[in-house]
Amino acid sequence: MSATTDTPMVPNTPTPGRGSLSAETSAARAWRWLREHAVNIVAILVVIYLLIPIALIFVFSFNNPAGRYNFTWVGFTLKHWGHPFSDTELTKALLESIKLALLATLISTIIGTMMAIALVRHSFFGRRLANFLIVVPMATPEVVMGASLLSFFLILGTPSLGFETLLIAHVMFCISFVVVVVRSRLIGFDRSLEEAARDLGAGPFTTFRLVTFPLILPGIFGGAMLAFALSIDDFVISNFNAGSTVTFPLYIFGAAQRGIPVEVYVVAMILFFATVLAMGFATWQQRRAEKMTAIRPEQEESDIALPGIA
Amino acid sequence: MRVAMAVAALALAVAVAGCASGIEGPVESNVEKVELEAKPSGELVISNWPLYIDKKTVPDFEKATGVSVAYHEDINSNEEFFNKMQPLLSSGESGGRSIMVLADYMVAKMIKLGFLMELDHSALPEVKANLAKNLRHPPFDPERKFSVPWQSGMTGLIVNKEKANNVHSICDLFNPEYKGKVDFLNEVRETVPLVMKCEGVDPEKATEADWLKAIEKIDQAANDGQISRFTGNDYAQDLTNGNAVAVMGWSGDAVQLQADNPNLEWRMPTEGCMLWSEDMIIPVGAPNPTAAEAFMNFVYKPEVQANIAAYVNYVTPVEGVQEILQKTEPEIAENHLIFPSEEFTENCSPTPTLEGQEEKNVIKAFDEVLNG
Amino acid sequence: MVDTLRKRSVAYLLLLPGAFWLIVFFVIPLYFMAKLSLDVEIPGTLHYHFTWHWDNYKEALELYKTQFFRSFIYAAIATLLCLVIAYPLAYVIAFKAGRWQNLMLFAVVAPFFTTYLVRTLAWKTILADESPVTEVAHSIGLAPSGHILYTSFAVIAGITYNFLPFMVLPLYASLERIDVRVLEASKDLYASAGSTFWKVTFPLSLPGVVAGTLLTFIPAVGDYVNAEFLGGANNRMIGNVIQSLYLSQSNYSAAAALSFVLMAVIMVVVFIYLRFAGSEALMGQEAV
Repeated sequence: MSATTDTPMVPNTPTPGRGSLSAETSAARAWRWLREHAVNIVAILVVIYLLIPIALIFVFSFNNPAGRYNFTWVGFTLKHWGHPFSDTELTKALLESIKLALLATLISTIIGTMMAIALVRHSFFGRRLANFLIVVPMATPEVVMGASLLSFFLILGTPSLGFETLLIAHVMFCISFVVVVVRSRLIGFDRSLEEAARDLGAGPFTTFRLVTFPLILPGIFGGAMLAFALSIDDFVISNFNAGSTVTFPLYIFGAAQRGIPVEVYVVAMILFFATVLAMGFATWQQRRAEKMTAIRPEQEESDIALPGIA
Repeated sequence: MRVAMAVAALALAVAVAGCASGIEGPVESNVEKVELEAKPSGELVISNWPLYIDKKTVPDFEKATGVSVAYHEDINSNEEFFNKMQPLLSSGESGGRSIMVLADYMVAKMIKLGFLMELDHSALPEVKANLAKNLRHPPFDPERKFSVPWQSGMTGLIVNKEKANNVHSICDLFNPEYKGKVDFLNEVRETVPLVMKCEGVDPEKATEADWLKAIEKIDQAANDGQISRFTGNDYAQDLTNGNAVAVMGWSGDAVQLQADNPNLEWRMPTEGCMLWSEDMIIPVGAPNPTAAEAFMNFVYKPEVQANIAAYVNYVTPVEGVQEILQKTEPEIAENHLIFPSEEFTENCSPTPTLEGQEEKNVIKAFDEVLNG
Repeated sequence: MVDTLRKRSVAYLLLLPGAFWLIVFFVIPLYFMAKLSLDVEIPGTLHYHFTWHWDNYKEALELYKTQFFRSFIYAAIATLLCLVIAYPLAYVIAFKAGRWQNLMLFAVVAPFFTTYLVRTLAWKTILADESPVTEVAHSIGLAPSGHILYTSFAVIAGITYNFLPFMVLPLYASLERIDVRVLEASKDLYASAGSTFWKVTFPLSLPGVVAGTLLTFIPAVGDYVNAEFLGGANNRMIGNVIQSLYLSQSNYSAAAALSFVLMAVIMVVVFIYLRFAGSEALMGQEAV
């Protein structure tokens, strides 16, 4: 943060050409510049810190190790980028993860949005409890969630551990996050628009379809993206409940034991770049929409941020 | 009304709670025998350890028999795999698999629990002819009714010659000169017996007290910071990165590691090594036991096994392979890690037996050390 | 009257699938786990027998209290570090970034998309004994033994890195809502930059601080990936223990007992913390 003391006033040493301005030595000037920009510098350093492992993964995706182990830099090659999906186990695991994430996102977004609408728009008996129910899973360590689901499936004896159990688990932990995101979007919503629609004769369903829904769509979309990211990256809960199904993180965990093939790094970078493109596209669309409809920028940008507060 | 329903639900819950909760044990039944069809066909699902087969054997088998193979490398630990499979196997299912490859001691356990199908030897002529003599009558499966060896290996020392050239024995791993640069294995049946050998105890004759004493010694070393980590296969990364200079390691890995770093070398500890084997087994509920036996037979042909041995670099259970490799890949044929002589493995011990309450106590004590 | 009833049934209808899912797949499993934690294994078989066996809890606590303490300490340090590191970044994004805002937000979230495990493994290579980073740290005296990897420092560093976005985003969200005119007013009243921060900005961002610290601390306590990859023999956390009890030892009752103790302790800590800091942050506003 910025320093807490004021700039010390340097005693008058008139410098030619300066006139009535008090002079500063170049060191003092440099120091002042540093202090004013300290926060910015720290922020940039933090961003660099965040991106260091990404840089490493990127570099090592071009590595050309002699044996099976990709731990030290040997030589540069493009061959792994040439056929990143050649490892069938990896590709299969990746597809499983994507399939799982898409399904889990779909289900949890629908269920979560419905819940959010109910919680924000209606008052009913048990609302406090429902709110609490949403929050508790977010506050439970993944180890406990995964382990308790495993106990549940084991005691019931069905379904047998595999894709279905993974799907159930993923939807479960995604719902809360979707609810929180959509809810925050609903709360910031201008009700007068809905009232205007009703004044113009639209029934409740029409109002929802033509006014409410399009306006909360960014929130729903944000919730869906969050659910997708959580699902595709999940390791702990999947480890407990996957049975013999192998998702991408589970594959990596196994591979880490004996040497991750370079293709894994390549795939990780592909995922990263795909997200960059998707985000870039979304931002570009948003800028266009802004220009066309002149919505205030601040309001839009706050939707992309993941809310931790209502 | 609502209150009454709630009370009823609660009562039901309590009633259910009173019953024994259902983590089921083994189904008591007669041993299932393989019933062979005339010809192998269909699909064969195999579960094996990673990097345990070459690239040609599976396609060659598919071409030779017309069976389509789904080869999964999803076994990373005997215990974890067993725990994953146990609920399925108890209800007589195998999750689609027809072959699994697990260590001797795990196979012994599964035989006792009735999880394996009994093999029909009439479909295994190559095995009968070529199985190494010293593997024909193991104590846990004297007639090889349930298991066919896949590969064997040795657990010993892998050492960075440049930095720790003086490590020649398990006891040397406790030398404070290498503090924090030593990895031990996280397998109780390999690490503890090796340490027992350092103490002068023969693992096959060890008592529970001997086991616990050795575990005590390991605990001490871990708390002092002598042992950096307990690892599975991932000691390889530590050696390559310089995080460790001497580890307990497996013979097959060493050959691979040397390709990346010629300073790394597998050494036979002066006290001797641990010898282990992994076996192919057919679980109950296997969908395609005929194809499974065909595969087992196929890999016991010396020409096929030669390809596997050349890639995997562990000790092959098939006779006749060394002669073949002498003509095609002589360095491998001469490698005493892949074809160890009798005198080389003189002091080596097989995996010791641990059962019942002794097993529980030892595993519990060792896990406490692993968990810090 | 009818209208309210219909409104209410709409609400219940909307709520139903979600509530069902959460109750069946979250609450009930916890109940089953509670039952398991009081089971005892009939020796020799793999059957369990429910007998209110509180000894499971006693044993679990005795054996693993070191790991419990360690987990809480690691998580607390990591959370504090996250707060200190994330705040400047969130501040800059909220107030000073202008056009770069989206880009910086993206830079915060992007590492997520290379998968948790790959990121942590990358740190394993970066912090290895012979890597340039370690050697530089050693030469300036930061790593006296020459090791960074497999020490508690590496584990805490890993946790801090992996949970940083969970701290940045809530902080940003609450900072962003602060009306800039309030800050300007403070400056107009001759407050220095520091005073403005401590007396105006920080208190207004408190909901974000509370949310961020909770979203970081709670998962961090139960984490086991960082300890697994970056930790040595003496750095195991309670998450590792639970995982090994479930998946390696099949000691379900001990694992269940430990899980409950973990949850209970977290709840207590969170409760005290929220009492101290205010609870609107987590429960959310009750809107119209």
